Amino acid sequence: MSGDNIKIKICMGPGGIAAGGNDVIEAFKGQLTNQRINASFGEQCSLHQVGCRGLCAKDVLVEIIIDGKETIYENINPEKVPRIVKEHILGDNPVKEWIAGEDYDNFKKKQIKVVLSHCGEIDPEDMNAYIEAGGYKAAHKALTSMSPSEIVETVKTSNLRGRGGAGFPTGLKWELGLRIKSDVKYVICNGDEGDPGAFMDRSVMEGDPHSVIEGMIICAKATESHKGYIYVRAEYPLAVKRLQQAIDQCLQKGYLGKNIFDTGFDFDIRIFQGAGAFVCGEATALMRSIEGKRGMPTPKLWRSAEKGLWEKPTVLNNVETFANIPKIILNGGDWFRNLGTERSGGTKVFSLTGNIKNSGLIEVPLGISLREIIYDIGGGIEGGRSLKAVQTGGPSGGCIPAALLDIEVDYESLAKVGSIMGSGGMVVLDETNCMVNTAKFFLEFTQAESCGKCTPCRIGTKRMLEILERITNGNGKEGDIELLEDLGSHIRATSLCGLGMTAPNPVLSTIRYFRDEYEAHIKDRKCPALVCRNLITYSIIEEECTGCGACKRACPVDSIRGVRKKPHKIDPELCVKCGTCFDVCKFKAILKA
Amino acid sequence: MEKTVKLTIDGKEVQSPEGMNLMDAAELAGIHIPNLCYLKGMKGIGACRLCLIEIEGLKAPMIACNTKVREGMVVNTKTEKVQEIRKFIIDLILSMHPLDCMTCTKAGICNLQKYAYEFDLKESSFTRKKFGYPVDEANPFIKRDPDYCILCGRCVRVCKEQGTNVLEFMGRGIGSKIVTANDKPLQESECTFCGSCVDSCPVNALLEADRWRKGREWEYERINSVCLLCGNGCEITVSTKDGRVQKISSGAPAGSAEKYICAYGRFGFDCIEAETRLTSPMKKIDGELRGTTWEDALKIVADELKKAGKDAGFISAAGILNEDALTLKKLARDVVKTRNFDTTVSLYADSDSLKKSQRADIDRSDLIFLLGLNPSQWERVLPALDAAVRRRINRGAKLVVINSSETRIADVATVSLKGDEISNIKGIIKVAIEKGLKADKKLESSVKDIESTEEIEKASALFIEAKQPIIFSSPALFEAASNLSLLKGKKVIAIPLESNARGVVLMGLTTEGKTYREMLTDKMKALYVVGEVPLNKRPDTDFLIVQNSHLTGLAREADVVLPSATFLESAGTITDFMGRMKYLPEVIEPQGESKSHRDIFILLAKIMGSTIKRPTEAEVKKASNIKVKLSPVPFVKKEGLDISPQEMIESINASVINGSRLLWLKETEKTIAV
Ligand SMILES: Cc1cc2nc3c(=O)[nH]c(=O)nc-3n(C[C@H](O)[C@H](O)[C@H](O)COP(=O)(O)O)c2cc1C
Ligand code: SF4
Ligand code: SF4
Ligand code: SF4
Repeated sequence: MSGDNIKIKICMGPGGIAAGGNDVIEAFKGQLTNQRINASFGEQCSLHQVGCRGLCAKDVLVEIIIDGKETIYENINPEKVPRIVKEHILGDNPVKEWIAGEDYDNFKKKQIKVVLSHCGEIDPEDMNAYIEAGGYKAAHKALTSMSPSEIVETVKTSNLRGRGGAGFPTGLKWELGLRIKSDVKYVICNGDEGDPGAFMDRSVMEGDPHSVIEGMIICAKATESHKGYIYVRAEYPLAVKRLQQAIDQCLQKGYLGKNIFDTGFDFDIRIFQGAGAFVCGEATALMRSIEGKRGMPTPKLWRSAEKGLWEKPTVLNNVETFANIPKIILNGGDWFRNLGTERSGGTKVFSLTGNIKNSGLIEVPLGISLREIIYDIGGGIEGGRSLKAVQTGGPSGGCIPAALLDIEVDYESLAKVGSIMGSGGMVVLDETNCMVNTAKFFLEFTQAESCGKCTPCRIGTKRMLEILERITNGNGKEGDIELLEDLGSHIRATSLCGLGMTAPNPVLSTIRYFRDEYEAHIKDRKCPALVCRNLITYSIIEEECTGCGACKRACPVDSIRGVRKKPHKIDPELCVKCGTCFDVCKFKAILKA
Repeated sequence: MEKTVKLTIDGKEVQSPEGMNLMDAAELAGIHIPNLCYLKGMKGIGACRLCLIEIEGLKAPMIACNTKVREGMVVNTKTEKVQEIRKFIIDLILSMHPLDCMTCTKAGICNLQKYAYEFDLKESSFTRKKFGYPVDEANPFIKRDPDYCILCGRCVRVCKEQGTNVLEFMGRGIGSKIVTANDKPLQESECTFCGSCVDSCPVNALLEADRWRKGREWEYERINSVCLLCGNGCEITVSTKDGRVQKISSGAPAGSAEKYICAYGRFGFDCIEAETRLTSPMKKIDGELRGTTWEDALKIVADELKKAGKDAGFISAAGILNEDALTLKKLARDVVKTRNFDTTVSLYADSDSLKKSQRADIDRSDLIFLLGLNPSQWERVLPALDAAVRRRINRGAKLVVINSSETRIADVATVSLKGDEISNIKGIIKVAIEKGLKADKKLESSVKDIESTEEIEKASALFIEAKQPIIFSSPALFEAASNLSLLKGKKVIAIPLESNARGVVLMGLTTEGKTYREMLTDKMKALYVVGEVPLNKRPDTDFLIVQNSHLTGLAREADVVLPSATFLESAGTITDFMGRMKYLPEVIEPQGESKSHRDIFILLAKIMGSTIKRPTEAEVKKASNIKVKLSPVPFVKKEGLDISPQEMIESINASVINGSRLLWLKETEKTIAV
């Protein structure tokens, strides 16, 4: 064995686990004991499971640090482990062909990690690792040497805005929370994260739970609150486990509970597991849910800062918002402010998905352009196809067309083009995506998740969905686009909560930028992206057909006729557009149009 | 005086109390803001979105149900923008609605119909859909048809606020639905069939079960009256058509959650036409009751009463009207010349406690004491009191329950004191005095030996803090309750079991001779029983006269039976437990030959050669107007007032229950209990 300080870090974020991170750990453990190296407690060699490193497309990512020298491997599976152990760890000779390449470097280059700085670096179950990395210094500073209003001022200076979607300035929220006097006040961390496919907050809760808790402690001090809740959806058992573990560790160490840091300040945090309805992420619905009622939004006669949970003053922030706080306290408001744009300080975490090469979790400074995110960090579109649009903001966001790729990413500019920042979903769409179908997909989600309370959202989104269904089925009518716009703008204007108000976004923004696609569906009965089944026709190109009969045999409804060695024909009346023939034809003789 | 603010609504200068929402403020000014989910008296929830209005200076429309008036506010409720929004909303709702207006029972009072008309919508402009949900109609009281439901949530909220909590939203998106726990039929839930949800439903989703083709809403005559079936004396609205009662609803205007009535009050009216209903006088011939004329029957009764003279006895239920009580007393004392006249009140209350009870408004109270009382909607014991208390709690009041037995309402109490009631009250008084409330020396010394507990301290602290406490007490514990109330000079009220108990006592219908119980055992020469009393066997007496609306078990054993009108068939007043005088009109004519109690007494007097004048309103008021000053009294729990409230209320309503669909309830409850 070469060095005397070896660290092996295995990415166990959501992506890492999905790619088989557990097996990789086991393989390492097995190998290391085989090789007679004490794996878990050895002074010299230690195995760490770390949070998400971002580049999930290349998971499992494994980092090996020998005497400070870092090597990152990508796409690691258990079969590859023995060779790494043998050649790299024992032989000091890294396995070149598996080392993360250019993509990984590019992926990292334009990112700035504030919230995610510990994710993928430290073991989330080890409190000491967090403390060694500078953790709880900020809380200590806030509790021992800052007054509540000084904390509020720092957060105001930082220009931090709520990362849960609406982008409300966090400093202002806290200022109000501090100003309102009450014997009982609450701090709530919103970890509901209901957007389908999103895992920003989950990665933080699982990968760096202490940062969330530390943020909440500072918030409690700033708003003179002594009770906190973390609302986590029950579908995130690992997040629940890690947070609870972190809370217990804090209680033991005296970082939570009574008399924190001997300052006389008390603060307790409890975890509340939500039932997983999307609307429960909405602040008022979330509070009703903690109160044991049905998670339904309530109109805000009072701001939550005045009357929130159990009618007591409540400051509610998103996971990512809280995770930023310790860094702001340590490095100062100006530092954070300067990372971002004039109107929004700091960085934002996005989950980059869809038809993109380097999909994963990224953290970028606000103000970066969409182009940089997609091409520089994301490595561009899969398979060399052309970009069509970027959908941001989760199911209630909008689609931004390729032509607007140079806009700066911040709250206002996204809103201006008809989308939202939301909690940070970013789905890349290319020419193979039908925009009508995409809009329908998102609306299906919001309709199903509407709490059903208010009329426009409950019924209106259903009516919109029906129209989209008929358009994609080839039964669209003249005037449907206008009807959608009309419905959409009314629903936006009249719904009670953010869910209804933003539900029409995907539809309205795709109409705004891709009206021609809607028209093609309605007028020409064509789906230009060849996605909507009912609008596709399959036919056989005579010149290409060799008459092999493969398609004829494969067709489930017997709609293909022809004799051997002669061009075949599809009976359009019988064809159910399953696409089987298209897939089986070796001669590219089937035309999908 | 309440503070008021000035604002402008639709160009009209309006003064409105501070803190009021725009919906109510506009209504006060005669401006109706369309809404489907608002419930007067409850916090607006902003679900239907119809009440969006515009406020000058604000960009987005605001909901009127949940926006408070502010000085100088300029509100426009009918701008083009909001009218368009409203039309859109109604259009959407219609797209999910059966549109059965031509035969729909709710037609005429359906709010959706009204707004569709107002916004010129014949049909929805969207594709119409119906779920085809099954109808919940296995019970004879309430029919739930979810296909009509517009999910305004009113039913859910009324039911929750009164504490029954049977209904809830289920599902998400377009599939949202109002259901009972586990989506079971009503009779398998905790439903008490009070029908509050029916009153609050703006459409045809909740309806009285038997209403189909019993007349359209516009054919009904609506008359306000009072239910006399139990001690609560609830206000009701009776809808009649062709001289028959078609439905009874709570006395509050539609779309308000302010008043409660229970299943007895709402559905008991079937008994008016029950088989056991008496429509002509009867006399016993050869051991069998046979019909006869009034003349004959009254003649017989007059003779017997004359014969009996001072050995005649009168016992009456306390569900009779003040006017009946005054007349009865005159008949007994001045005509028959007996001192034996008593009422069922003596089974559960002493007259002192009822006379000394004060007037109060529960809806203003911030602290309620229930002393020795066990109201329960589920057992139908003073259900309206139970509902009112729970509603007050849900609107922010606190509750202290003091009862040596288990009570269900203690579940919602801030403090529940078990054990001996008197000691607990003494403890509260002692702590309150220690904390600075002034008290009479005698009172102070009578509580000094009591040991207080943490819970007693809590109750006492609540009492000290409260601005408008009300103490409701069982009559037996009234003394202790009044001592407590003296500390703050606040309201104390004894709760009787019958609707006009306080009235009959004030009218002086309390015996000067034998008591109710004594008359049953002392072999009266003639016993005259008025109304439904908890008595099924003929007491030992030479001659038994029963005057009632129904042929009860007791009536079957009577020598003469005189048919009386029900409370829906006779006019007069009562004095309810809160001391409020309430008026009852003659809603329908008495069935057959039945007559009001008072008319029967007057006729009888006439045959006996005396004239009793019809009591006037002034006479009733004078009798009610007694001034009593409370002063410290010894703490005692009065004996002999311990008839089980549930048994009492069930037996005085036996004819109502057995003669109506309430019987189903009793039987269903029995089978479920088994
Ligand atoms: C339908 C709906 C769902 C929401 N879901 C979430 C969520 O999952 N997580 C979250 O932090 N905020 C969510 N929000 C936003 C919250 O209402 C709230 O604005 C936010 O948590 C405040 O925290 P912040 O200021 O730190 O962003 C949602 C809002 C709506 C309307
Ligand atoms: S907008 Fe939708 S989710 Fe929000 S309250 Fe209305 S129905 Fe519920
Ligand atoms: S049943 Fe009636 S009251 Fe209840 S939600 Fe439906 S429409 Fe409203
Ligand atoms: S609570 Fe009593 S008075 Fe009220 S409706 Fe029921 S029976 Fe009648």
